[in-house]
Amino acid sequence: MIFRGRFRYGQPLYDIFARNIGTVNHNNTGLSCVHFGTSLIARQTETIATRVFNGFVMKHTPTEPPTKDTRNPVAAMEGRLGSGLGALIVLIAVVAGWIVQRDRAARGRAEAALLESEERFRILVGGVQDYAIFSLDPQGTVVSWNAGAGRIKGYNADEIIGQNFSCFYSPKDIDEGKPEADLQIAAASGRSETENWRVRKDGSRFRANVVITAAHNSSGRLLGFSEISRDITERKEAEKNVGQMESRYRGLLEAAPDAMVVVNHTGEIVLLNLQAEKQFGYRRDELVGQKVKSIIPEGFAERLVADGTRSAAEALVQQIGMGIELYGRRKNGSEFPIEIMLSPLESPDGILVTAAIRDISVRKNSEQHLVNTVGELKRSNDELQQFAYVASHDLQEPLRMVASYTQLLAQRYKGRLDSDADEFIAYAVDGANRMQRLIQDLLAYSRAGTNGKALHEISSENALKEALTSLRAPIKESGAVVTHDSLPAITTDETQLAQVFQNLVGNAIKYRSIEIPHVHVSAMKNGGNEWIFSVRDNGIGIDPQYFERIFILFQRLHGQEDFKGTGIGLAICKKIVEHLGGRIWVESQPEKGSSFCFTLPERDGQ
Amino acid sequence: MMELIGTDATPIEVLLVEDSPGDVRLTREAFKDAKVHINLHVAQDGAEAMDFLGRVGKHVNAPRPDLILLDLNLPKKDGREVLEEIKESPTLKSIPVVILTTSASETDILRSYRLHANCYITKPVDLNGFLNVVRSIDNFWLSVVKLPREARS
Repeated sequence: MIFRGRFRYGQPLYDIFARNIGTVNHNNTGLSCVHFGTSLIARQTETIATRVFNGFVMKHTPTEPPTKDTRNPVAAMEGRLGSGLGALIVLIAVVAGWIVQRDRAARGRAEAALLESEERFRILVGGVQDYAIFSLDPQGTVVSWNAGAGRIKGYNADEIIGQNFSCFYSPKDIDEGKPEADLQIAAASGRSETENWRVRKDGSRFRANVVITAAHNSSGRLLGFSEISRDITERKEAEKNVGQMESRYRGLLEAAPDAMVVVNHTGEIVLLNLQAEKQFGYRRDELVGQKVKSIIPEGFAERLVADGTRSAAEALVQQIGMGIELYGRRKNGSEFPIEIMLSPLESPDGILVTAAIRDISVRKNSEQHLVNTVGELKRSNDELQQFAYVASHDLQEPLRMVASYTQLLAQRYKGRLDSDADEFIAYAVDGANRMQRLIQDLLAYSRAGTNGKALHEISSENALKEALTSLRAPIKESGAVVTHDSLPAITTDETQLAQVFQNLVGNAIKYRSIEIPHVHVSAMKNGGNEWIFSVRDNGIGIDPQYFERIFILFQRLHGQEDFKGTGIGLAICKKIVEHLGGRIWVESQPEKGSSFCFTLPERDGQ
Repeated sequence: MMELIGTDATPIEVLLVEDSPGDVRLTREAFKDAKVHINLHVAQDGAEAMDFLGRVGKHVNAPRPDLILLDLNLPKKDGREVLEEIKESPTLKSIPVVILTTSASETDILRSYRLHANCYITKPVDLNGFLNVVRSIDNFWLSVVKLPREARS
């Protein structure tokens, strides 16, 4: 409803109306038409104005604009207000109305703002999902409930409002009076914060961080409490895991046999173990916070940091199989060779690098020692080889002269000098001849196994045939019968194998008994990857005590009168067989024949 | 059938390049029984052998040999160099060269043949073997084989 009236007015009145009541329409009569709005203050003004002007009421006009009719009563009123008293009354009424109106308006605005902010707050709190937020009356009865509380505790608002909040506590806590105690603390100190097990509607438990805040009015009376709680079960679990991991990591660190140093991205040592203290001669607290290059000298520290912190993934790739050999520096300045393995470690402070540092002084020394020894051995071996070859070769020249000329002497002058001369010459010739054989054998021995030819798959049967061809004369002379099984193809050196067969079969014929020599050659596959060859005879046999000795260079069991020879054959066999990767041995008993056996490894053909 | 050179009128000229007097003597002994008349000339080292072949110094009147017996291990200039120089020389390369040495090394054998040695013989270590070898040389190179005559002076 719109009230409209006309007043004669001055500036103050205009201000009052214009600001507080409604719009003022000017017209050329000097009066203004006041449009009362629908606001509270407008209605109030109308009420007051109606009371004040009782009897000569302002014309109530519905929404239609001013007309001739509506203007008349106003003009009439105008006339009555002509007196000063009337004017004063009107003024007082209007001012009083305005004051009442102003207070009411202010209160209304504050009420509206409060309502609005309460609403906002309610929406805000109500929507929070991660926190259970609810209020309690002073006795602990739930009076409000948000979505988060519903989610966390499992109750709907209508289920829980009106219930005592102690149902959130475990029976044990309830027995111990925890709910009351928490409220008392909050009431007394304004606030209580606890971490505790809480119980959901379904009885399951969760770890909660709970803050209870007491609410007092301005006069200090306890109005109730608000409780904000949060499910921190996962966080607690995570903390526990981290704690466990950390203690495990530290345990590992300390148990490690190597010095372990954990370095951050600026190259500072953040952690180290007992071994590191021992190796570098520092106390732990002396090293933590120090640059790693104080214990691992210049140049490497940068690399360590660069490699270690580039990225966890790359660093991981880096550390696989990567041993870096460098030097560590002790507190006393001495250095020692170390081997380092790096591995990245992600941490809240960025990537850390765990360096496992092994003191390899002992290993280095023994490696060096081994290298030296092997080198010396090789040199001495080479020298010996060279010596044997050169000696036998060079010895041969003068010996050839001695032998040739004693032989010439024997041929030309036998029987032309006296018998002593013949005998002396005979000894000289014999000695020279034997010396020649020894030298030739030595030469053969020094060459055996050293031809360095690539190995090929050959027929061991062919090698045997080759040997038998060389032995034609003694076989024929002795009437020996040499038989063999089918012999395998094998990757080895045919010439050298033939040499071994020749020496073994030759010996079998040479060291024969009174019987016609029977020699049998066979081969069988060992369980492993090798062939066992055997040359069995029916000869004089060998006393087991000499089994080792017969394979030694120039060692003989018989005098030259019984069996000629220098004692080279088996030594050469042993050298060749071992050079080809096998072993050689004899099985025998005196007068019961011998079996000479040797193995040759099976290799892939080349 | 076979034309024999080395009759009394035209003896065979053999140059033995050998530093061991013992071997020189043994060679002489062996040639004593030769079927042909042999003039054995001796050079004691490689340098002297080249002087002989080039008729230098005291060898100014040296004959051109029909056969050269060459040891490999020699003082001053060794047998391998001598062989190489002979076989590179247009005038000397037709002279057969028999390597007669103690070396049985594969390397020496191969190298000698690559330098066009006509044959390679390792000196046998015993007397009879040695005598047989020299007689074989006598028999084969000086009797059986037809040697070039065109360049003889």
